[in-house]
Amino acid sequence: MAACCLIFLATFSLEYLFFSDNFSVAYVVAHSNRDLPTFYKVAALWSGQEGSLLFWSFLLAIYVFSVLVTYRNKNGELMPYVGVVMAGVQIFFLSLNNFVESPFKMLASPAAEGAVKYFTAADGRGLTPLLQYPEMVIHPPNLYSGYTGFTIPFAFALGALLARYPGEKWIHLTRKWTMIAWMFQSMGILLGAHWAYAVLGWGGYWGWDPVENASLLPWLSGTAFLHSVMMQEKRGMMKVWNVWLVFITFLLCILGTFLTRSGVVSSVHAFANSSIGSWFVGFMGMVLLVCFGAYFKNRDYLKSENQLDAIVSRESSFLFNNLILLVACVAVLSGTLFPVFSEWFTGNRISVGAPFFNKVNIPLGLLLLFLTGVGPLLAWRKTSTDSLKKNFGWPLGIGLVAGAIAFALGFRQFYAWVCLVLCVFVAATVLLEFYRGAKVIRSRSGASLVASALELSMRNTRRYGGYIVHVGMVFVFIGIAGAAFNRDVQKDMRQGDSLQIGPYTLVLQGFDTKPEKNYTAQRLLVEVIEDKKPTMMLYPEKRKFSTTEENGTMVAIRSTLKEDLYVVFAGMSPETQLPVIHAYLNPLVKWIWFGGVVVVFGTLVALLPNRRAVLVLAAAHQPVGQAVVQGLPSSVALRAGHD
Amino acid sequence: MTKARPIVALALLAMFATAPLLIAPVGAQQLSDRAKQIGGKFMCMCSCSQVLTECNHVGCTTSTAMLKELNVALSRGETEDAITQMFVQEFGTKVYAEPPKSGFSLVAWALPSIYLFLGTGVVIFVIYRWRKQAVPQTEPTGGAPGVSAELLERARARASRETQD
Repeated sequence: MAACCLIFLATFSLEYLFFSDNFSVAYVVAHSNRDLPTFYKVAALWSGQEGSLLFWSFLLAIYVFSVLVTYRNKNGELMPYVGVVMAGVQIFFLSLNNFVESPFKMLASPAAEGAVKYFTAADGRGLTPLLQYPEMVIHPPNLYSGYTGFTIPFAFALGALLARYPGEKWIHLTRKWTMIAWMFQSMGILLGAHWAYAVLGWGGYWGWDPVENASLLPWLSGTAFLHSVMMQEKRGMMKVWNVWLVFITFLLCILGTFLTRSGVVSSVHAFANSSIGSWFVGFMGMVLLVCFGAYFKNRDYLKSENQLDAIVSRESSFLFNNLILLVACVAVLSGTLFPVFSEWFTGNRISVGAPFFNKVNIPLGLLLLFLTGVGPLLAWRKTSTDSLKKNFGWPLGIGLVAGAIAFALGFRQFYAWVCLVLCVFVAATVLLEFYRGAKVIRSRSGASLVASALELSMRNTRRYGGYIVHVGMVFVFIGIAGAAFNRDVQKDMRQGDSLQIGPYTLVLQGFDTKPEKNYTAQRLLVEVIEDKKPTMMLYPEKRKFSTTEENGTMVAIRSTLKEDLYVVFAGMSPETQLPVIHAYLNPLVKWIWFGGVVVVFGTLVALLPNRRAVLVLAAAHQPVGQAVVQGLPSSVALRAGHD
Repeated sequence: MTKARPIVALALLAMFATAPLLIAPVGAQQLSDRAKQIGGKFMCMCSCSQVLTECNHVGCTTSTAMLKELNVALSRGETEDAITQMFVQEFGTKVYAEPPKSGFSLVAWALPSIYLFLGTGVVIFVIYRWRKQAVPQTEPTGGAPGVSAELLERARARASRETQD
């Protein structure tokens, strides 16, 4: 508790130094200046190596504090173990804050006779232009909250293993913490993608940059854990696997931080190279050692209680779900690190860029999407052939009809077509699940179908929240499929010139300069004409930041559910000295951001406590999967809120 | 159920059939020239970690020069292999956007398939083992080697007693 308070104090002190323009502190000088808007002075805290590490400690302290307060009078035997693990992680980051990368170093120059002379700079160098965008204020906190949040399930998993807890208690205790961390990680990844889309000006949102990949790795293994955990809760299976998934997820969070900060792989996101990498390698080695030690000592307490009753069952679908997620995770990791390995083995560094990752991950993503639809249709333990036919018939039929319509309309890009069919299939399975459950409630209560669906969701928030998350992922996949049809055009333009892209005509109406407090913006006034009617004005900008002499872009986007018209002021042409407009037409991008909102909403629903036990519903759900439960009443087979 | 099913199905159809309608016209007109296709296989060497044809750094002279070089080579009628060799000689192997499918780089391409193959093998093995060891539910859960069933049950009861949400 005391450590948490002191970390809060240190963090707020650094923020105070930013707000008070204290340019005697090196970190403040490097990441702020007098003209920096207050909004960005908050974000300056995590814009550099030292501050972001302190911010990491701060977020971890919030989690630790919350856990300690939540369980202050509970779990007396387990909490000491959990506390030690959390403290161990916290101590590592505090060591970095204090002895390796302190954000409180004063500006100093060597004076006579080995003395040091402290001084204060007149102004700071300012925040990197790329970071001066509203999402920069919320993207890193979300991502870091995801990274740090996985410390809690890790601490409980390791603590439970050390305490020789055989059951699923630790999973039950950490379910919400894992979901919170996963939600923040998802939000962080999507906000980062949106930030890249709106600021970097290359027309895309995901470039498979090593640091982007680093954020995806724990998300993939965390997603695998969130699914496989149900096997342990419902069937007492995969205990060893779950413990190791949590260990791996935590280690991938640390690995991600290591990749960002060590300079091992080159990235646009990476912090300056420093010796900090060896600290992370040491820490990861130590964590791995402790995990192996605890596992080998107490692995007998993790034996599965049940066995597989049938190959066609929910259990098998979860196994394959985990397989695909983990294969994607390892494939992304090995692709990210391949340049390093190629340099070790051949002496030549071979780049692995977006084309490689797309080729590898698109098929895996589609397989996963297929399993997202299949999973809910299979019952625990055993699914009969009749039930398979009954459950798959409609969703599959609807998906194929949608595919046929799309094909007839000229939708011929293979992966995008498969993606569309699968998206419809998954959405149909989820809607049918809601419909079937709601119908039972309606028959008993007489309420409308919508009210019944709402009641259904509130009675088993985890199950139906999970389905909402699946719908969100469907939207994200639809948006990603749209990228197959992206196109762009670039042109040097005089005032009055026009450029045609899709149904839009862009007319350059003018060019002006707009001085702002922190930068000067050169702005293009671009009129958008659609169907021969002026629709709107767009103002793509190029910004010159006075303190850093660096340039930045501000993309102008007209976003609809159908497509994004994305206009970039790409600079002045060296040949013609005319402004260059680079226009992109990116279909369906908005579905990705909307899908992200749905994913977060679904997770929040899943976090809510159940309104009441679903014992009545349990029997009603049985026909969906025709579950065969031996020796247990059906109401017990589907425990409240656990599906 | 029978009345509502067609309504749900129609709603779904209407909802998702709009997606191809929205983007089909765009796809139909999609064009790509040879320079864009070949340029997509190289990285921009301005250290932006982006593919050559996608680098949009304001004032990036590197990508401009590389694209110009590519256009000149194409206008000379050079093959894709010759252009690749030209860039590799100039910038080294870092210029590849994806590893070439030869030599050590083949490892990068092979690894995901190996992971999938091995992973599938493991999953099938696990399923087979679980199926083989399936026990009747009426039997008490078996103790693991080194830990008796009684001890495991005691530990489970202790965990249950000592923890609460």
